[in-house]
Amino acid sequence: MTSKIINMAERLKDAEDRLLESLFESAPIADDGFSEQIVRRVNRQLWVRRLTLPIAAVIGGLIAFKPLVGLLSVIENLSGMISVDTAGLAASSMPQIQFIVLGAVLLGAALLGARMLED
Amino acid sequence: MTQAEDNDLVARAVSSQDTAAFGELVRRHQSHVRNFLRKLCGDYALADDLAQDCFIHAWDKLQTYSGRGSFIGWVLKVAYTTFLQSKRKSKRYAEILESAGHVADQESRSKVLPSDEITDLEKFLAVLDDEERAIMVMSYACGLSHREIGMATEMPVGTVKSIIFRGKEKIRNSFDIKDHQHG
Repeated sequence: MTSKIINMAERLKDAEDRLLESLFESAPIADDGFSEQIVRRVNRQLWVRRLTLPIAAVIGGLIAFKPLVGLLSVIENLSGMISVDTAGLAASSMPQIQFIVLGAVLLGAALLGARMLED
Repeated sequence: MTQAEDNDLVARAVSSQDTAAFGELVRRHQSHVRNFLRKLCGDYALADDLAQDCFIHAWDKLQTYSGRGSFIGWVLKVAYTTFLQSKRKSKRYAEILESAGHVADQESRSKVLPSDEITDLEKFLAVLDDEERAIMVMSYACGLSHREIGMATEMPVGTVKSIIFRGKEKIRNSFDIKDHQHG
Protein backbone atom coordinates (compact mmCIF):
# COMPACT_ATOMS: atom_id res chain seq x y z
CA MET A 1 0.00 0.00 0.00
CA THR A 2 2.76 2.41 1.08
CA SER A 3 4.84 1.60 -2.01
CA LYS A 4 1.79 2.23 -4.20
CA ILE A 5 1.40 5.67 -2.62
CA ILE A 6 5.11 6.40 -3.16
CA ASN A 7 4.85 5.26 -6.79
CA MET A 8 1.80 7.44 -7.30
CA ALA A 9 3.64 10.41 -5.74
CA GLU A 10 6.62 9.78 -8.02
CA ARG A 11 4.36 9.57 -11.06
CA LEU A 12 2.64 12.82 -10.06
CA LYS A 13 6.01 14.48 -9.53
CA ASP A 14 7.14 13.32 -12.96
CA ALA A 15 3.95 14.59 -14.56
CA GLU A 16 4.48 17.95 -12.91
CA ASP A 17 8.09 18.03 -14.06
CA ARG A 18 7.03 17.11 -17.59
CA LEU A 19 4.42 19.85 -17.52
CA LEU A 20 6.99 22.38 -16.37
CA GLU A 21 9.45 21.18 -19.01
CA SER A 22 6.85 21.65 -21.73
CA LEU A 23 6.02 25.11 -20.38
CA PHE A 24 9.65 26.15 -20.21
CA GLU A 25 10.41 24.67 -23.62
CA SER A 26 11.09 27.23 -26.30
CA ALA A 27 12.02 27.11 -29.95
CA PRO A 28 15.75 27.37 -30.70
CA ILE A 29 16.84 30.88 -31.60
CA ALA A 30 18.41 31.21 -35.03
CA ASP A 31 21.99 32.48 -35.02
CA ASP A 32 21.35 35.17 -37.69
CA GLY A 33 24.88 36.55 -37.51
CA PHE A 34 24.99 36.61 -33.70
CA SER A 35 28.11 34.43 -33.44
CA GLU A 36 29.85 36.39 -36.22
CA GLN A 37 29.18 39.60 -34.32
CA ILE A 38 30.77 38.10 -31.20
CA VAL A 39 33.82 36.91 -33.15
CA ARG A 40 34.20 40.38 -34.68
CA ARG A 41 34.09 41.94 -31.20
CA VAL A 42 36.61 39.40 -29.89
CA ASN A 43 38.96 40.05 -32.84
CA ARG A 44 38.68 43.80 -32.30
CA GLN A 45 39.46 43.31 -28.61
CA LEU A 46 42.50 41.16 -29.48
CA TRP A 47 43.83 43.82 -31.85
CA VAL A 48 43.32 46.57 -29.29
CA ARG A 49 45.23 44.52 -26.71
CA ARG A 50 48.05 43.75 -29.16
CA LEU A 51 48.41 47.40 -30.16
CA THR A 52 48.05 48.93 -26.70
CA LEU A 53 51.61 48.16 -25.49
CA PRO A 54 53.50 49.34 -28.61
CA ILE A 55 51.34 52.46 -28.89
CA ALA A 56 51.83 53.22 -25.19
CA ALA A 57 55.59 52.72 -25.63
CA VAL A 58 55.69 55.12 -28.60
CA ILE A 59 53.61 57.74 -26.75
CA GLY A 60 55.75 57.31 -23.63
CA GLY A 61 58.90 57.67 -25.78
CA LEU A 62 57.57 60.85 -27.38
CA ILE A 63 56.68 62.32 -24.00
CA ALA A 64 60.03 61.34 -22.50
CA PHE A 65 62.09 62.46 -25.51
CA LYS A 66 62.49 66.16 -24.62
CA PRO A 67 63.35 65.69 -20.91
CA LEU A 68 65.72 62.87 -21.88
CA VAL A 69 67.62 65.11 -24.31
CA GLY A 70 67.84 67.76 -21.57
CA LEU A 71 69.18 65.18 -19.11
CA LEU A 72 71.80 63.98 -21.60
CA SER A 73 73.06 67.51 -22.16
CA VAL A 74 73.31 68.05 -18.39
CA ILE A 75 75.31 64.81 -18.06
CA GLU A 76 77.55 65.92 -20.91
CA ASN A 77 78.20 69.27 -19.21
CA LEU A 78 78.92 67.51 -15.91
CA SER A 79 81.31 65.05 -17.51
CA GLY A 80 83.22 67.99 -19.00
CA MET A 81 83.66 69.38 -15.51
CA ILE A 82 85.16 66.12 -14.18
CA SER A 83 88.94 66.18 -14.24
CA VAL A 84 90.86 63.94 -16.62
CA ASP A 85 92.37 62.00 -13.70
CA THR A 86 88.98 61.09 -12.31
CA ALA A 87 87.81 60.05 -15.76
CA GLY A 88 90.89 57.86 -16.18
CA LEU A 89 90.25 56.28 -12.78
CA ALA A 90 86.63 55.59 -13.70
CA ALA A 91 87.70 54.04 -17.01
CA SER A 92 90.17 51.70 -15.30
CA SER A 93 87.50 50.58 -12.82
CA MET A 94 85.05 49.74 -15.65
CA PRO A 95 84.82 46.01 -16.52
CA GLN A 96 86.68 44.86 -19.60
CA ILE A 97 84.87 44.58 -22.92
CA GLN A 98 84.91 40.75 -23.01
CA PHE A 99 83.09 40.62 -19.65
CA ILE A 100 80.42 43.03 -20.92
CA VAL A 101 79.91 40.89 -24.04
CA LEU A 102 79.74 37.69 -21.96
CA GLY A 103 77.20 39.30 -19.61
CA ALA A 104 75.06 40.41 -22.55
CA VAL A 105 75.16 36.90 -24.08
CA LEU A 106 74.19 35.34 -20.75
CA LEU A 107 71.36 37.84 -20.29
CA GLY A 108 70.09 37.11 -23.82
CA ALA A 109 70.23 33.35 -23.23
CA ALA A 110 68.39 33.72 -19.92
CA LEU A 111 65.66 35.81 -21.55
CA LEU A 112 65.30 33.30 -24.39
CA GLY A 113 65.14 30.41 -21.90
CA ALA A 114 62.50 32.20 -19.83
CA ARG A 115 60.42 32.82 -22.95
CA MET A 116 60.70 29.17 -24.03
CA LEU A 117 59.63 28.05 -20.55
CA GLU A 118 56.70 30.45 -20.68
CA ASP A 119 55.61 29.04 -24.09
CA MET B 1 27.19 18.48 -29.99
CA THR B 2 29.29 16.54 -27.51
CA GLN B 3 31.22 17.54 -24.44
CA ALA B 4 34.45 16.27 -26.00
CA GLU B 5 33.95 18.45 -29.08
CA ASP B 6 33.28 21.45 -26.86
CA ASN B 7 36.42 20.75 -24.84
CA ASP B 8 38.44 20.42 -28.03
CA LEU B 9 37.15 23.79 -29.28
CA VAL B 10 37.92 25.40 -25.91
CA ALA B 11 41.45 23.98 -26.00
CA ARG B 12 41.99 25.39 -29.50
CA ALA B 13 40.56 28.77 -28.53
CA VAL B 14 42.71 29.02 -25.41
CA SER B 15 46.01 27.61 -26.72
CA SER B 16 46.20 29.53 -29.99
CA GLN B 17 43.70 32.35 -29.44
CA ASP B 18 41.64 30.72 -32.19
CA THR B 19 38.62 33.00 -32.55
CA ALA B 20 37.09 30.71 -35.20
CA ALA B 21 36.95 27.88 -32.64
CA PHE B 22 35.37 30.24 -30.14
CA GLY B 23 32.91 31.34 -32.84
CA GLU B 24 31.89 27.71 -33.28
CA LEU B 25 31.30 27.42 -29.52
CA VAL B 26 29.14 30.55 -29.63
CA ARG B 27 27.19 29.19 -32.61
CA ARG B 28 26.52 25.94 -30.74
CA HIS B 29 25.35 27.49 -27.49
CA GLN B 30 23.93 30.93 -28.35
CA SER B 31 20.36 29.64 -28.50
CA HIS B 32 20.44 28.24 -24.96
CA VAL B 33 22.14 31.32 -23.55
CA ARG B 34 19.78 33.75 -25.29
CA ASN B 35 16.73 31.73 -24.26
CA PHE B 36 17.99 31.61 -20.67
CA LEU B 37 18.55 35.38 -20.55
CA ARG B 38 15.28 36.15 -22.34
CA LYS B 39 13.42 34.20 -19.68
CA LEU B 40 15.35 35.92 -16.90
CA CYS B 41 14.96 39.48 -18.24
CA GLY B 42 11.65 39.27 -20.05
CA ASP B 43 13.11 41.85 -22.45
CA TYR B 44 14.45 40.31 -25.66
CA ALA B 45 16.66 43.22 -26.77
CA LEU B 46 18.27 43.54 -23.33
CA ALA B 47 18.69 39.75 -23.15
CA ASP B 48 20.51 39.69 -26.50
CA ASP B 49 22.80 42.54 -25.40
CA LEU B 50 23.55 40.63 -22.20
CA ALA B 51 24.19 37.47 -24.24
CA GLN B 52 26.81 39.36 -26.25
CA ASP B 53 28.46 40.64 -23.07
CA CYS B 54 28.27 37.14 -21.62
CA PHE B 55 30.20 35.62 -24.55
CA ILE B 56 32.80 38.40 -24.42
CA HIS B 57 33.29 37.68 -20.70
CA ALA B 58 33.42 33.98 -21.53
CA TRP B 59 36.23 34.64 -24.03
CA ASP B 60 38.16 36.60 -21.39
CA LYS B 61 37.74 33.86 -18.80
CA LEU B 62 37.96 30.86 -21.11
CA GLN B 63 41.22 29.62 -19.56
CA THR B 64 39.40 29.21 -16.23
CA TYR B 65 37.07 26.56 -17.73
CA SER B 66 38.46 23.33 -16.34
CA GLY B 67 36.39 20.95 -18.49
CA ARG B 68 34.97 19.15 -15.45
CA GLY B 69 31.35 20.17 -15.94
CA SER B 70 29.53 20.78 -19.22
CA PHE B 71 30.52 23.83 -21.24
CA ILE B 72 26.91 25.03 -21.43
CA GLY B 73 26.74 24.90 -17.61
CA TRP B 74 29.86 27.04 -17.42
CA VAL B 75 28.55 29.54 -20.00
CA LEU B 76 25.22 29.78 -18.18
CA LYS B 77 27.15 30.60 -15.01
CA VAL B 78 28.83 33.47 -16.89
CA ALA B 79 25.41 34.50 -18.28
CA TYR B 80 23.83 34.51 -14.81
CA THR B 81 26.72 36.59 -13.40
CA THR B 82 26.39 39.02 -16.33
CA PHE B 83 22.65 39.29 -15.67
CA LEU B 84 23.17 39.96 -11.93
CA GLN B 85 25.87 42.57 -12.64
CA SER B 86 23.63 44.34 -15.14
CA LYS B 87 20.74 44.30 -12.69
CA ARG B 88 22.94 45.72 -9.92
CA LYS B 89 24.19 48.42 -12.28
CA SER B 90 20.70 49.47 -13.38
CA LYS B 91 19.55 49.48 -9.76
CA ARG B 92 22.47 51.72 -8.81
CA TYR B 93 21.67 53.97 -11.79
CA ALA B 94 18.05 54.25 -10.66
CA GLU B 95 19.20 55.06 -7.12
CA ILE B 96 21.53 57.80 -8.42
CA LEU B 97 18.69 59.25 -10.49
CA GLU B 98 16.39 59.15 -7.48
CA SER B 99 18.94 60.76 -5.18
CA ALA B 100 19.43 63.48 -7.79
CA GLY B 101 15.70 64.13 -7.69
CA HIS B 102 14.89 62.59 -11.05
CA VAL B 103 12.23 60.01 -11.55
CA ALA B 104 13.01 57.46 -14.25
CA ASP B 105 10.28 57.42 -16.86
CA GLN B 106 7.69 54.73 -16.53
CA GLU B 107 8.77 53.03 -19.75
CA SER B 108 12.32 52.39 -18.61
CA ARG B 109 11.25 51.42 -15.09
CA SER B 110 9.01 48.56 -15.99
CA LYS B 111 9.07 46.86 -19.31
CA VAL B 112 5.77 45.14 -18.87
CA LEU B 113 4.23 43.51 -21.89
CA PRO B 114 0.60 44.16 -22.72
CA SER B 115 -1.58 41.59 -20.93
CA ASP B 116 -2.60 39.83 -24.17
CA GLU B 117 1.09 39.24 -25.04
CA ILE B 118 1.94 37.62 -21.70
CA THR B 119 2.38 33.87 -22.06
CA ASP B 120 1.70 31.22 -19.41
CA LEU B 121 5.42 30.88 -18.84
CA GLU B 122 5.82 34.61 -18.25
CA LYS B 123 3.00 34.46 -15.70
CA PHE B 124 4.73 31.56 -13.97
CA LEU B 125 8.10 33.27 -14.01
CA ALA B 126 6.59 36.45 -12.57
CA VAL B 127 5.83 34.75 -9.24
CA LEU B 128 9.46 33.64 -8.83
CA ASP B 129 12.35 35.76 -7.62
CA ASP B 130 15.52 36.09 -9.75
CA GLU B 131 17.33 33.21 -8.10
CA GLU B 132 14.38 30.83 -8.36
CA ARG B 133 13.74 31.89 -11.95
CA ALA B 134 17.37 31.32 -12.97
CA ILE B 135 17.47 27.89 -11.37
CA MET B 136 14.08 26.81 -12.73
CA VAL B 137 15.06 27.93 -16.24
CA MET B 138 18.40 26.13 -16.00
CA SER B 139 16.61 22.99 -14.89
CA TYR B 140 13.49 22.91 -17.06
CA ALA B 141 14.47 24.96 -20.12
CA CYS B 142 18.17 24.16 -20.43
CA GLY B 143 18.01 20.63 -19.04
CA LEU B 144 20.93 21.05 -16.64
CA SER B 145 21.31 18.51 -13.85
CA HIS B 146 21.12 19.65 -10.22
CA ARG B 147 24.88 19.20 -9.94
CA GLU B 148 25.48 21.35 -13.03
CA ILE B 149 23.13 24.03 -11.67
CA GLY B 150 25.00 23.89 -8.38
CA MET B 151 28.26 24.49 -10.22
CA ALA B 152 26.75 27.31 -12.29
CA THR B 153 25.24 29.13 -9.33
CA GLU B 154 27.94 28.15 -6.83
CA MET B 155 25.35 26.58 -4.54
CA PRO B 156 25.27 23.16 -2.88
CA VAL B 157 23.09 20.60 -4.69
CA GLY B 158 20.76 20.45 -1.66
CA THR B 159 20.11 24.18 -1.89
CA VAL B 160 19.42 23.88 -5.62
CA LYS B 161 16.90 21.12 -4.96
CA SER B 162 15.14 23.10 -2.25
CA ILE B 163 14.98 26.22 -4.46
CA ILE B 164 13.42 24.13 -7.26
CA PHE B 165 10.97 22.66 -4.76
CA ARG B 166 10.10 26.16 -3.48
CA GLY B 167 9.69 27.46 -7.02
CA LYS B 168 7.42 24.60 -7.98
CA GLU B 169 5.37 25.14 -4.87
CA LYS B 170 4.98 28.84 -5.64
CA ILE B 171 3.82 28.03 -9.18
CA ARG B 172 1.51 25.30 -7.88
CA ASN B 173 -0.03 27.61 -5.28
CA SER B 174 -0.42 30.53 -7.65
CA PHE B 175 -1.84 28.68 -10.63
CA ASP B 176 -3.42 25.51 -9.30
CA ILE B 177 -1.22 23.21 -11.38
CA LYS B 178 -3.01 20.06 -10.17
CA ASP B 179 -6.22 21.12 -11.91
CA HIS B 180 -4.21 21.87 -15.02
CA GLN B 181 -2.65 18.42 -14.87
CA HIS B 182 -5.83 16.51 -14.47
CA GLY B 183 -8.06 18.71 -16.53
